Amino acid sequence: MNDVAALGFGMHPWGKFPEKRLNDICRVAVESALADAGIAWKEIEAVCAASSRFSGGKGWGLNGNDVVEDMGSTGVPVYNMSAGCAAGSNAFNVGYTMIKSGVHDVVLVVGGEKMPKGFIQTSGLEDATDPEYLRQRCVGLPGPGFWAMLTRARMEEYGTTEADLAAVAVKAHQVGTHNENARFRQIFSLEDVLNSNMVSHPLRLYEICPVSDGAAAVVLCSAEFARKKTTQPIWAASTAVATARFDDGLPRGLACVPGEGRPHHSEARISVAKALETAGIGPKELDFVELQDNTVYYELAFPEEWGLCEPGESERLLHAGETLPTGKMPINPSGGFLCFGEATTAQGLFQICEVGWQLRGECGPRQVPNARIGMAQSIGLGGNGAAAILKR
Amino acid sequence: MSEQGTIDAAEGLFSQTPEGPRLLGSRCATCQTPYFPRSEACHNPECENSDMRDDTFGPEGRLISIALQNYPPPPPTIAADPYATYGVGLVDLPEGLRVIGRLLAEDPEQVPVGGLVALVIAPLGQDAEGREVLSWQWKPV
Ligand SMILES: [Zn+2]
Repeated sequence: MNDVAALGFGMHPWGKFPEKRLNDICRVAVESALADAGIAWKEIEAVCAASSRFSGGKGWGLNGNDVVEDMGSTGVPVYNMSAGCAAGSNAFNVGYTMIKSGVHDVVLVVGGEKMPKGFIQTSGLEDATDPEYLRQRCVGLPGPGFWAMLTRARMEEYGTTEADLAAVAVKAHQVGTHNENARFRQIFSLEDVLNSNMVSHPLRLYEICPVSDGAAAVVLCSAEFARKKTTQPIWAASTAVATARFDDGLPRGLACVPGEGRPHHSEARISVAKALETAGIGPKELDFVELQDNTVYYELAFPEEWGLCEPGESERLLHAGETLPTGKMPINPSGGFLCFGEATTAQGLFQICEVGWQLRGECGPRQVPNARIGMAQSIGLGGNGAAAILKR
Repeated sequence: MSEQGTIDAAEGLFSQTPEGPRLLGSRCATCQTPYFPRSEACHNPECENSDMRDDTFGPEGRLISIALQNYPPPPPTIAADPYATYGVGLVDLPEGLRVIGRLLAEDPEQVPVGGLVALVIAPLGQDAEGREVLSWQWKPV
């Protein structure tokens, strides 16, 4: 098996770009990843793309084909991966596997999305067999309400307060303000967050991530190829994808079996555990993590669920500054989804770019000091989960 | 009651039985796993023979969490007009099922997590044709 290097990282900043086509922002990300890797487009042997739900891809999620046409139709194989908001990470996993197995030497992984306005909507189909449709029709629980339900359960169990929740958002912007690729870079006080509109009690507007447009790309290659280009490559130590278990107690439609323990995203827990196992490290050996913070709740719950810290400990670590880049358990030094907004299928790749830049020490005021090993994690509709661990 | 009558939010999910309101689902005869709504196949990875039979659930459970819906959701959600914040409860039934549903409560902010709730079939609001749209809801007892 070949070692896999992450040779180049590229991003188009996250924001709202009504005047740009999806192809344009993807090309910016791809061209900067190629330049960062020091290679030409013609050296790419295959493309693994996140399959878009909302934009581009000829209406069929064929986003990788759009990218290849714009960059030059070299005849390379294209894999369009569909996994909801975990699609970028799934594409990374497939690209990694191709290099690892020796099928290809140089692979481009890319994800881009232009989002419709407002919170992420349902499929729009009035399909009585679609659990998402039934949930909105018969109950009325959009995404923020789902997160609110998880958050309230935590408040009941651990005594988490509304001020604790707001402090997570304050910390995200304290860090994200230094990230030129982030969309929401203003600094918030605790009062600013607590004064923002209640969206779904106990969650407020500044505690959940809105939608954005964005694109990111990564060049993966074999160790042999990497050594021709650099003396200090970033290595992809492992990647893992998973789907949700039957008994995790999380009702993704109208109901579920309660299972053991508290409701949790088993697809996240399983993919993270597998990525750690493959990398041969324990959770506490990670120098930092980029995790999917659609809402502040996840920044409190996920580290506990994965063994980065003890159950119920997250609030104390947050207030002690341990989740800042300079702390003992840095979370989302990029600013996370709260500062980027969600460009769904591209999210997993902005996270991986951040992990790579952190490992190179290129992150300036948001740098995790002496970062040697970091993880990116995302989840998506359908119970998809993915994690990737990079090291230097 | 609306002059235009009533309509179920979706067909085949709930019923007013002689014993009272019930959710209509299924249960695997092999591993006893309950499902709501009805499922065509058993999702339990340990189950060796998916054998789905119709079953009913309710009428009582315990609230394990609550979310409030502070803004009016877009269609297809039905809500009162003018809009009033409603609660959604996550409820564990003794039959081994965890089910979401709207809370039927005057002041959803005052409903305690951990309390008992009863299944009721009640209007969510009116649809564009002026019909009362009925669904299962959880009423604190
Ligand atoms: Zn079964």
